[in-house]
Amino acid sequence: MDNMNLNKHISGQFNAELEGVRNQVMSMGGLVEQQLNDAIDTVHDQNLEIARRVVERDVKVNSLEVSIDEECTRMIAKRQPAASDLRLIIAIIKTIADLERIGDEAKQIAHMVIDNANKTQPPLVSIENMGRNVVKMLHNSLDAFARMDVEAAVKIHESDKRVNREYESVVRELMTFMMEDPRSIPNVLKVLWAARAMERVGDRCKNICEYIIYFVKGKDVRHIGSDNLQSILDE
Amino acid sequence: MISVTPTNANNQQLDLNNLTPAQVALEIKDLNLYYGSKQALYDVSMKIPKGQVTAFIGPSGCGKSTLLRCINRMNDLVDICNIEGEINLHGKNIYDKSVDVASLRRRVGMVFQRPNPFPKSIYENVIYGLRLQGIKDRRTLDDAVERSLRGAALWDEVKDRLHDNAFGLSGGQQQRLVIARAIAIEPEVLLLDEPTSALDPISTLTIEELINDLKSKYTVVIVTHNMQQAARVSDQTAFMYMGELIEYSDTNTLFTTPKMKKTEDYITGRYG
Repeated sequence: MDNMNLNKHISGQFNAELEGVRNQVMSMGGLVEQQLNDAIDTVHDQNLEIARRVVERDVKVNSLEVSIDEECTRMIAKRQPAASDLRLIIAIIKTIADLERIGDEAKQIAHMVIDNANKTQPPLVSIENMGRNVVKMLHNSLDAFARMDVEAAVKIHESDKRVNREYESVVRELMTFMMEDPRSIPNVLKVLWAARAMERVGDRCKNICEYIIYFVKGKDVRHIGSDNLQSILDE
Repeated sequence: MISVTPTNANNQQLDLNNLTPAQVALEIKDLNLYYGSKQALYDVSMKIPKGQVTAFIGPSGCGKSTLLRCINRMNDLVDICNIEGEINLHGKNIYDKSVDVASLRRRVGMVFQRPNPFPKSIYENVIYGLRLQGIKDRRTLDDAVERSLRGAALWDEVKDRLHDNAFGLSGGQQQRLVIARAIAIEPEVLLLDEPTSALDPISTLTIEELINDLKSKYTVVIVTHNMQQAARVSDQTAFMYMGELIEYSDTNTLFTTPKMKKTEDYITGRYG
């Protein structure tokens, strides 16, 4: 935590508040990661019990988002944070919004599994592989967030391209199914939505990486594309 | 893909490194200041733009008030004070031998931490400087009083009791009266040395609002202990530490992404 210097404030109370909210973000991140992991497991093993648990637990993710938001608002009102403290709080507020949405995507995937139970399935192998990749991407993003590691963030940012490529190939595969047998369309659409949800998780991980860069470097690197990222950081 | 480049919200931000001579009100060049054998300012160089609010912040004893006082040669009153370097007011060095200090102070007005009205009526306080200049015409003086009190956002509160003693005003009103007195003589630069530190929060906000209005006519330089105040009222902020100018940049940048670690530590309340 050296690059964050959270415990160096003259106000010990502020140190404790920042540390507390950061810990909450990490536990929210852990929960969301587990949700996504479970959701993707259920795609593979069709375990309806776990799928239902994912849907239920989403409430907890939502309530964590609300309570962290509240804590951040309170800190802004009471402490008037500046510079890196301000950037950290802004980065946290934005990160938890993305985490909450990742939680929603996990719920969506679980719903797909529940709705699809006892129906004939198109092969879903390729979507599981994609799922593993986004779980890894989320895990790495949270890890980079915990350490506020810009280098890792840049790498993860770049790896979203692979997820996008996988998504495109899943779409192509599903289109073949639809063309071969129009009766498969309802099922195919559900898989497509799940794949879409995973692709969105990749985008949200990318957002989290951008907030890490914003916190450490003070530079807003949104919407510039990962190709230009390095050159902006080198400036 | 649509490319969205982040832009600064404040388009009128000046590039402090590339000011044209016409944009500069004050240029401080290699200023060193000694109180006896103790050096209080080290090689301070900066350009203060015209028609803007510039704030000096820093911990106690960092030299920010000393620097402010150099700008109208208040330090001349301190016997053991020794100054090297230049301060150019609109291109002319104020420490040049040919400069008359009294006329310099007419061009560079100053307001202090504690309101210091004279034990006279509100009216007499405002026109004090004009009387010293020998102006006697009633109409001119009346106009100056109304103009200055309006400029200091005090007119509506005192217009019916201009001849009451100034000590009857509240602290915030007294401070605005002192600002009215300072602007009555139409200075080019207004120096404010912690103008709100003795005032309540509402009076403080009134003065801050006033500072914002003042910059359309005057160049304002303010020293403040209240960092949020510097963030609210100023266009540029200079951070000083132990007699050195550590960082000087536009206020938006300084309070969100300061470049120097010392600045960062100070504005986020960390110990170095």
